[in-house]
Amino acid sequence: MEDTNPHPPKRRRFFAVSSPSPPLEASDPILPSTPQRELHTGYADPSSDTPFAERDGDITLEESPEVQVENDREIAEMKDLSLRFDATMLESVVGELSPDTLKRLDDISGGNIERAINMYLDGSWKEARPSESKKSGKQSPFDSIFSQNGKRKSPAGIGESSSNQPPASDEETARRLDRMPYERYIGSFGAEGYAVRSGSNLLSHGEEVIIGRQQPQQVQKTVRRGKGRPVVVVSQAASKRKDIVVRFSNTRGEEIGRLPHETAQFVSTLLDQKICTFKAVCVYAPEPLRSNETIFLQLKCYMLRQTFAPRALRLTETNRSTGLFETKETEEEKGLRLRQTSLVKLFNEIRLFPTSAGQDSKAKREGLLQVAEMAEEKEKEEAARGSNTPIKDEEEPQEGKELEQDQLDQLYRKAQTFDFNSPEAEPAETFTMNLRKYQKQALHWMLNKERDKKNEGQEESMHPLWEEYTWPVKDENDKELPAVENQEKFYVNPYSGDLSLKFPVQEQNCLGGILADEMGLGKTIEMLSLIHSNRNEPEASSGTDSKPFNLPRLPKSFDVVEPAPYTTLVVAPMSLLSQWASEAEAASKPGTLKTIIYYGSDKSLDLRAQCSAANAQNAPNVVITSYGVVLSEFTQIANTTSGSRATSGGLFSVQFFRVILDEAHNIKNRQSKTAKACYELDALHRWVLTGTPIVNRLEDLFSLVRFLRVEPWSNFAYWRTFITVPFESKDFLRALDVVQTVLEPLVMRRTKDMKQPDGTPLVPLPPKTIVIEEIELSKAERAVYDFVYNFVKRSFAENVEAGSVMKSYTTIFAQILRLRQSCCHPTLVRKKEVVADEVEAEAAEAEAKGLTDNMDLQALIDKFTSQENDGGEINNYGAHVLQQIKEEAENECPICSDEPMVEMTVTACYHMACKKCLLNVIEYAKAKGDQAKCFNCREPIDEKELYEVIKHDPEEAIGGLSGFRENVPEFSLRRIAANKSSAKIDALVTNLKRLRRESPGMKCVVFSQFTSFISLIEPALTRERIQFVRFDGAMSQQQRSAVLNRFKTHNGGLVLLISLKAGGVGLNLTEAKRVFMMDPWWSFAVEAQAIDRIHRMGQTDEVIVHRFIVKGSVEERMVHKIQERKKFIASSLGMMSAEEKRAQRIEDIKDLLS
Amino acid sequence: MALPKRIIKETERLVAEPVPGIQAVPHDDNLRYFDVSIHGPAQSPYEGGVFKLELFLPEDYPMTPPKIRFLTKIYHPNIDRLGRICLDVLKANWSPALQIRTILLSIQALLGAPNPDDPLANDVAQRWKEDEPGAIATAREWTQTHAAP
Repeated sequence: MEDTNPHPPKRRRFFAVSSPSPPLEASDPILPSTPQRELHTGYADPSSDTPFAERDGDITLEESPEVQVENDREIAEMKDLSLRFDATMLESVVGELSPDTLKRLDDISGGNIERAINMYLDGSWKEARPSESKKSGKQSPFDSIFSQNGKRKSPAGIGESSSNQPPASDEETARRLDRMPYERYIGSFGAEGYAVRSGSNLLSHGEEVIIGRQQPQQVQKTVRRGKGRPVVVVSQAASKRKDIVVRFSNTRGEEIGRLPHETAQFVSTLLDQKICTFKAVCVYAPEPLRSNETIFLQLKCYMLRQTFAPRALRLTETNRSTGLFETKETEEEKGLRLRQTSLVKLFNEIRLFPTSAGQDSKAKREGLLQVAEMAEEKEKEEAARGSNTPIKDEEEPQEGKELEQDQLDQLYRKAQTFDFNSPEAEPAETFTMNLRKYQKQALHWMLNKERDKKNEGQEESMHPLWEEYTWPVKDENDKELPAVENQEKFYVNPYSGDLSLKFPVQEQNCLGGILADEMGLGKTIEMLSLIHSNRNEPEASSGTDSKPFNLPRLPKSFDVVEPAPYTTLVVAPMSLLSQWASEAEAASKPGTLKTIIYYGSDKSLDLRAQCSAANAQNAPNVVITSYGVVLSEFTQIANTTSGSRATSGGLFSVQFFRVILDEAHNIKNRQSKTAKACYELDALHRWVLTGTPIVNRLEDLFSLVRFLRVEPWSNFAYWRTFITVPFESKDFLRALDVVQTVLEPLVMRRTKDMKQPDGTPLVPLPPKTIVIEEIELSKAERAVYDFVYNFVKRSFAENVEAGSVMKSYTTIFAQILRLRQSCCHPTLVRKKEVVADEVEAEAAEAEAKGLTDNMDLQALIDKFTSQENDGGEINNYGAHVLQQIKEEAENECPICSDEPMVEMTVTACYHMACKKCLLNVIEYAKAKGDQAKCFNCREPIDEKELYEVIKHDPEEAIGGLSGFRENVPEFSLRRIAANKSSAKIDALVTNLKRLRRESPGMKCVVFSQFTSFISLIEPALTRERIQFVRFDGAMSQQQRSAVLNRFKTHNGGLVLLISLKAGGVGLNLTEAKRVFMMDPWWSFAVEAQAIDRIHRMGQTDEVIVHRFIVKGSVEERMVHKIQERKKFIASSLGMMSAEEKRAQRIEDIKDLLS
Repeated sequence: MALPKRIIKETERLVAEPVPGIQAVPHDDNLRYFDVSIHGPAQSPYEGGVFKLELFLPEDYPMTPPKIRFLTKIYHPNIDRLGRICLDVLKANWSPALQIRTILLSIQALLGAPNPDDPLANDVAQRWKEDEPGAIATAREWTQTHAAP
């Protein structure tokens, strides 16, 4: 065996050979010659920082495993040496060194000179990562200040790894660890091994048996110099290998046999991962022994001390490197799983049961094993499927099953058990708004989260995932075991395989959380109150320790982010940037909150300089930016070779005091670049705001947790083991239970329909009425619609028959889109520049073949447009006519008796009636094939010769539109034909005009999903002199905010035309009281969300919503069939994967055309 | 179905400002159905008679004319045995601006001025043309027999 690994002896010889010089003589006694047994007790150097040394060792080990084993011993043997080595001695061995190199060697070797020399000579010191070594060194003053305050410990580098344990307890852990012996007996069990060799006198009862693993490449030498006692062979995790063979040999080193498969399975892992060692005694072996005969063994299991050391570093994955493969179980994840199952199996085997545990431990164990088996099976399946399944790309990154609505409900119900008597907090003086009670409660909660105070009345409870075990006090033969002072118990996390000597407290080590109040409860306001109430005040004299948040300056080094102790970063969708800014302003006393929007050209400023503590007086308090900016800066940094944050001067170069993600479901996909970018934002306090923390998958929540850096949940392996896998294996209850333990300390969620104890609703909102207005298409429109409908139906049927529905999805979809558009306005059907909806735009581009070049359709559309005619106003009537009109203005309509006439219209023969009545007359005549005649004088009349009487309101002219004020005639006439638009636009205009008449000054919002349709509505409103503004996705941020501002501040009636996609989320449009939904969306939730822009907190009046639905069309079916069906699907926010979306759409389309 | 404003207003006005010699009363159970009575105009063969008619306003009134029929037997060249009336404003010359009141006035006028050149009851029209005094006498007779108040 020694031949297999010649390196260690060689290197040792190197050391020995090159050490004839006197200083080395001094180190002679530390040459490893002491027997192995002593190593166990004398392992640690009490003065060294053990956990870090351990960690350090691990890392080195990965690079050169040989060093580790020896190193362990060496450290042990050098225990009486001073911590830092003697540089002269080192230099006498290896030659002159630069101070830098010396320092580095000192760091990475932990002050161990022998190791330093070895590392220097074999070159491995160059590979040892300096960042790690930094941690292993003495704590910087900065660190200690942090930990004293109980704050986040590490000074936040890029690959920052928050520790599994709360930072302050590191020393405590170390001390505990020191007290623990190198290995400690935990139990024993019997196993029936089988022999692999024959012979006599190989093994007899009571003889010691060596249990070991053999790895062809990584095997260490088994025999040390000195006494011939074999050393237990351990090797690094060989999880890749299927080999689980565990051999045993007698004390003479002769291999006798192997452990049975089922035992070997977990023993191998425990050995490989250095969790336990096993000492075995032969209970019975046949004599003489023949191959394959059974040997009865008793295995004594000892837990290794290092198992209890924090494993945090290995758990933390580096973000950038793992990204691509995250969907799959990584090697690391697999190792974790093996470790976890092995431990559970071992405990079962030695009959060790937890003395206390979060839940029924037996069931839990079984469950855990199941999970592991499942994972294995899955792995096999995947292997069977072969390698033709390529790595999943960004296209379909979603995984995990969707939640059923009732599960989601259950989850939320648990998460939103809100105590109405929870304490309140008053916001700071500088905050001007009045908070409602529940908002003050939220503030109190958030302040507590940030200050990391325990909620009063909550005693320290054990982390729900951990189990408590008692160390056995007697060994297998009922003999007393040496007791270890103050260590009767140890703790195991059967989910992760983590072990600990310290009581695992359920920690909230995330200084932030998820504010998931339902839309309209005022999350923004609550957050602003927090920004005001927990902030650092810049002070002239720095360095006062009394301030809890007075951060010391970090030394400016190459790649260290600058703390921005006064700045909160808000990341929000672009459309909300200005709203955040204006609300921040409105909520603050003037001058108390400096807010900047960091977007577009405003981005030029150097945040690093602006926000630094040095610039305290002028540092912005709030920086508002968009997800897009975060992403683009992230990409920029990632693309530079250095990947350095500091030099960029942007969002990533500072550590903010607080970061807030608004509408955080934007990062629900943990694999999206945006999400990854957001994870990298650095801040002391991390918050996410969302009304829907889980959109449709439990993984959605993971991404938020990951952003919040809630340990250990922010590790996907962890998450997967406890949540995804149980959930997929139908163990919903447990998965949801765990999710709830994750959620509970993190989430605050209230819903609008929550009732306060006195029965009043949380937020009294004025009523909302939704009216469906049925629209009758005109003949010409109907013809176009019918044509498109039949075309689409036929084409769909053909595709169904050919089985090519999914293949020609785009085409079908484009056709359906056209069909829906034809309900709005016939000319939309042919519009090239189509749609508002970004998702559908692509589909529409792949234009429905046949619709573009169809002559029949063109004829139909022409027929429609021929009625459209751009005759403007004519005022060539004599004055007497106008006089007459004026006189008759108040008369009733001779046809319908309405008084006054609705949209009074005059014929060429000067007879007046309602517009609708006159058009009706013409319609009737046409239907009979007659020439329409005047109802009064029987002169032939024609649609093109009808003139609507436009009465000009003097007030209206004052309102805006300058230029109309002078010479406003009281009446003017306008050709009706020019007015003629689609039935929907007519209906809208009629509604708006009535509104103008009945409630002048009322503001309205008109939603449509088609921007091209909005473009057609515009001229109609212009004609009617209805003032409007427009808001759509194509507008720049400045334009958007200008529009919103105008809409809010405009005095008098104003219509906001807004695209459903651009304006459906986030905006606050409570100035409006009327909503018009021009076209239905696939699910009503999207429309409802849009409506909630108006019907939300701050709304003072009843809101009336008109939904225009074309009678006898696909729209009707969308509303009554599809929306009905989707009422309960949470996925309606349009965030499913493309594939799922398509499949679902096809179903919808079937319904539409049925 | 709700009654259009137009019908309500017309009915109200028929009651409020009745036309002399004409009565129109809607049925309680069907406000589109009217019982009508028209006094025969003076200096006509129908003088002294009170003629009953029924009037029905169809669904799309006033886009289409009301349906009117004499219930009382009448000897008139433009009214047939079933009581149907030949009157241009009830057919092609209907205009939605016309009303029940105007239509009934037209019918009253028709009684005063029979028009045998545009007949509906051919035999009556024939006789009217050939033997006007005899026809008028018959009309009077019928009025007394059938339309006595």
